[in-house]
Amino acid sequence: MKFNTQDIKGILIVSAFPKILDASNAMEFKTDLAKLLENRQQVVFDMSAVSFIDSAGCGALIATLRMLKNSGGVLKIFAVQKQVRSVFELVRMHKILDILNTLEEAIDSF
Amino acid sequence: MTKKPSEYMTNPEYPDEPIPSNILVVDDSRVVRTYLQSHLQKQGYIVTLAKDGKEAVSLISNDIGIVLLDLWMPEMDGMACLRHIRENYPDIPVIIITVSHEISNAVDAMKYGAFDYVTKPFNPNEILALVQQAIKTRVQTERLRRVEAELDKAREHEIAIASRIQQTLLLGGKHEELKGIKLGDLTIASKKVDGDFYDVFMVHENCMDLIVGDVMGKGIPAALLGAAAKHHFMSVLYKLTRISGNTSLPRPEEIVLTVHDEMIGQMRELDTFFTLCYARFDLYRKLLSYVDCGHMRTIHFHSATNTCSLLQGVNMPLGFPGQDNFKEILIPFEDGDLFFFYSDGLTEAKDSKGDFFGEERLEAFIRNNAQLEPQELCSITWKNIVEFSQSETFSDDFTCVAVKIDLPETDEKVPQSRTLEVSNDLNELAKVRDFIQEQCDALADGVMDEERIKMVQIVSTEIMTNIINHSYKGKQGKKILIEAMSSDDEIVLYFYDWGIEFDFSTAPQPIFDGSKESGFGLHIIAHTADYVRYSRDSTGKNCACVTFFLKRRG
Repeated sequence: MKFNTQDIKGILIVSAFPKILDASNAMEFKTDLAKLLENRQQVVFDMSAVSFIDSAGCGALIATLRMLKNSGGVLKIFAVQKQVRSVFELVRMHKILDILNTLEEAIDSF
Repeated sequence: MTKKPSEYMTNPEYPDEPIPSNILVVDDSRVVRTYLQSHLQKQGYIVTLAKDGKEAVSLISNDIGIVLLDLWMPEMDGMACLRHIRENYPDIPVIIITVSHEISNAVDAMKYGAFDYVTKPFNPNEILALVQQAIKTRVQTERLRRVEAELDKAREHEIAIASRIQQTLLLGGKHEELKGIKLGDLTIASKKVDGDFYDVFMVHENCMDLIVGDVMGKGIPAALLGAAAKHHFMSVLYKLTRISGNTSLPRPEEIVLTVHDEMIGQMRELDTFFTLCYARFDLYRKLLSYVDCGHMRTIHFHSATNTCSLLQGVNMPLGFPGQDNFKEILIPFEDGDLFFFYSDGLTEAKDSKGDFFGEERLEAFIRNNAQLEPQELCSITWKNIVEFSQSETFSDDFTCVAVKIDLPETDEKVPQSRTLEVSNDLNELAKVRDFIQEQCDALADGVMDEERIKMVQIVSTEIMTNIINHSYKGKQGKKILIEAMSSDDEIVLYFYDWGIEFDFSTAPQPIFDGSKESGFGLHIIAHTADYVRYSRDSTGKNCACVTFFLKRRG
């Protein structure tokens, strides 16, 4: 899976997520992200591309968050679309993810 | 000359209403009368004299404090006079005066309720001591009587309050009508007030929720707990409906669990519990969602077969510790069916031989009278039980609610139906979502917005994933059949597979603290679709059926 990455003030910004994040690609998403985030401490996900997420997609995000936390890292996400937000709320992920509106807010929050 | 009465003549608790200090002396001997009069007056008593029983009867009144009574007299003798006093003035102590060789008569008089006796010739001090003792006893008796009367008054007051709570807060009151349902109810409070309660909530234009409950215990505590329970149901219903964003109704099992969680602390403290039926009548689905928590078994009359079945859940009453879920059962119904909810006051009414009215008799009665209007059914049930028990007062509250399904005539349109067959491959998920999108696009404009369509798609994705990962467990080349039907009011999706049966008891509960990355699928399905049903037929075909209402609730 291809992602775009950008480094701002030592913070890794990951974008170009898949439009659909479901059981068909969640495993690949998780594995590829894990490689990308190795040894990174401050990470921001641009969620604007994701228009659909299911429980497997949520699981992949939780796994990524946990992996980062275990190595002392911090994850912020921004630009979450409405349907994605609804699903996050259904599985209470809005309580464990740091969700911000814009890239600037996300960077400033570190 | 009247002297100040003795100190014992005033009741210390009620100084305004003293015991009369008047002593009636009844003796045919003038010598004895005068002798007693002089001694008693010296001590401050007022003395009234009577020469025989007849005169005594004419003089006695509530102004008399004590009677000194000779047993052997002309006209009415002492024994007859004693009987008259005992019958008409039970509080007035009578001291018998007798001669020593007639002691056996005095003993008889004691049996009839005389306070004590003295034998002639007597010592005046002996008489005075007895008089004082009799007055003391009378003061105490009267005090006791007053305390009892006040206690009775307090009890009556309490019952009156409890009864008012019950009538105003606990029982249904006037309800708005739901087209398609006829409702009848009847409650007769028992003397003790049990804390029966019920209420009706019109939760949607097609849905009515009914709660019927019975609090353990009696009087004000039970009535208040019942009122509290009703309040909790109302607020939980409101809260959960708001949380769900008005797109779907909270499930009865969720409502009951939330109320249970909110009240368990208080109930444990009060050491009490209540039984409950939560029943949701969905006229559109023709489906009763029923959560029973140890309540009386609801009678379901089937109009098509003219038979009755009894509905019973598996849940314990609310207030029992250690309950983390409540099981809901789904019961289909037809037009003309009737549901009869009731409290134990009906089945536990006893006849003169002590036999209970019982469930069987009630069921037969309802079956024989199910054609009546619900209100009339409730009334004649009451009459029938009154006739059975030969009494209009029962030891328990009498509460019954009859719900009759009376669906309006409809000209239903044939639903639009489409099918899709896919293989058990996660790469087919996109195809399934497109299928859903087309099904929704075919609906009238504005019925489904983009967000809602996505929620239908996510439920479909979750069901597909469950089938692929669990039902077919990695086996390849299997098929999944999807059938979609939509009408003006709803979309129903059926997902068929031929894999192993899904065992919900082994499905893990979702953990939301970030420590688990799976186990959310069933949760998303249950909280997004309006109805979910899983079944398996005898050929080994599994079916997951989900329904989405098209009209917004609120």
